[in-house]
Amino acid sequence: MSAFLSYLINGLAVGCGFALIGSGLVAVHRVTRVVNFAQGMFAVVAGLSAASFLNAGLPHGVAEVAAVAVAVGAGLLVGLLAIGRRGTDPLSALIITLGIGILAYAVEVMIWGDQPRSFPGLGGAFTLAGATVQKQYLLVIGVTAVTFTALGLFFGRTYAGKGLTACASNPYAAQVIGIDVRRMGLLAFGLGGALGGIAGVLVTPLQPISFDSEVTLIVNGFAAAVFGGLTRPGAALAGGLVLGVAEAMVAGYGKASYQIEVALGLMLAIMIWQAARTPALQEEAV
Amino acid sequence: MALAATLDEGRLSVFILLGLAAMVTVGVSLLMGYAGQVSLGQAAFYAVGGYTAGLMSVHGLPPVLGLAAAPLVAALFAVVIGIPLLRLRGHHLAFATLATQLILLSLAGELEFLGGSIGLQGIPRFGAGPLELGGDRGYAFLTWAAVAVVVLVARNVIESRAGRGLRALATSEIAAESAGVAVGRAKLAVFALSAAFAGLAGGIYAFYVGYIAPGSFPVLLSIEYVVMAVVGGLGTIWGALAGATAIVLLVQLLNNIGTMEGMPSYAPSVLSYAVYSILLIAAVLFLPGGLVPAVRDRLAARGTKAA
Repeated sequence: MSAFLSYLINGLAVGCGFALIGSGLVAVHRVTRVVNFAQGMFAVVAGLSAASFLNAGLPHGVAEVAAVAVAVGAGLLVGLLAIGRRGTDPLSALIITLGIGILAYAVEVMIWGDQPRSFPGLGGAFTLAGATVQKQYLLVIGVTAVTFTALGLFFGRTYAGKGLTACASNPYAAQVIGIDVRRMGLLAFGLGGALGGIAGVLVTPLQPISFDSEVTLIVNGFAAAVFGGLTRPGAALAGGLVLGVAEAMVAGYGKASYQIEVALGLMLAIMIWQAARTPALQEEAV
Repeated sequence: MALAATLDEGRLSVFILLGLAAMVTVGVSLLMGYAGQVSLGQAAFYAVGGYTAGLMSVHGLPPVLGLAAAPLVAALFAVVIGIPLLRLRGHHLAFATLATQLILLSLAGELEFLGGSIGLQGIPRFGAGPLELGGDRGYAFLTWAAVAVVVLVARNVIESRAGRGLRALATSEIAAESAGVAVGRAKLAVFALSAAFAGLAGGIYAFYVGYIAPGSFPVLLSIEYVVMAVVGGLGTIWGALAGATAIVLLVQLLNNIGTMEGMPSYAPSVLSYAVYSILLIAAVLFLPGGLVPAVRDRLAARGTKAA
């Protein structure tokens, strides 16, 4: 029972990372229809930056916030390249963000080298119903909960958030009533950068991160986002948690190396199930 | 082909790898340009071909049989996974193919009979009967003969009735379907064909290098093929060849620069990542048609002006 509980909390924490990256994908996709392949890169950049800032002597908290700010900057840059030029269709934009992801490899290896890096998170552990729980796991879960609440308030209560939702549901109508759709797209990329960055600084203390961690992060994030058809942040949260817990259970009770098969198999099954329910006509019209 | 006979030994290995990349890229170009489908997992088929050829010949079957089986098994694998996956479109399919490759690599690292993460070692050299292909020159001939076959097959497919159907498919699936193109079957056929090309290249690679492991087929390799196809121009066979040539030579050149004295140890990988990405981004933004169509159009424009 205590083993089950520790797997569960472990899985929830890891799933929070997937959920944050997935919701970043959703934030960008619902406004711009672009699937941002560089989303995993934001987490890598933030994690590596945070490690550097901490090494340079910045206190905890400041270093993490600064690292997330770096990720937001990266998000805006990606946005400029991907949708800055008029008439770039979503699939071309996907290929551009793929290119940016590889370009980031070059920059990251130049700055941080090619070895994995980490930094100490919240130290210590305590026992809960017989299971040892690291405090960092609880920090991850708590920060994710706060982030998603803030995200909900942002979309529901602020002008910019409502503008983003308007662009998501009908870009043309949004433009007609005076919303700058392109600027909203950039805002979405910035938001994606922030969400990816938060994931990065939270997860790096749990597992060391290197430039090529990006592929695993983006694939898991996409798997989480697919739960909500790439349009609902809340569903991405649920998806991320399910994925994280499923992987932790497989790793705990089965074989750790089959984690990736489980996650990807689940993602494929959901996508195929969704595709079977959506007629081709509707998809092409969008 | 003439180059295979004239190049000096040191250059031949690049020439062989170029041929292998070109074969896979022709398939990617067909798939992206004609069937309008993005595959980010083409190296998976390359791996299937490599493992098929390697496994068969390690167990004592004649290499010719292994090489013949490589494209067939890859195509069969493509059909099996293509039936569910090709229901997906656009970025869904891109991620699904990427996922397939990751699953395959992870499985190959687990399964004992595939050598696990250590891989298959001691794959015999390619040969037929008493003849054995020894040096690089022989492999260069073999590779470029295979490239010729691939180009010929691809050309014939494009010019055929099925090829016209494919072009219709790339513009609008619904229009193509209403005009009587069997959309599902056509997509599956191109998918399988591109997999067969990749499988053939993978088979030759296994014999040439004599050793394969999951690490020989990283995700980055799949992305390289997409870069080559996009830079050269989607849907043109010469574009695929030009794209593969341009990028392999450029990366080779930068590798030489990167390994010069006084360069930091990370220079070669940084330079190659930078080249792939900058070329890819620049091609999508500024040369959406790709290299070969752009040059062809410019030549045609000059021709009309002169006349």
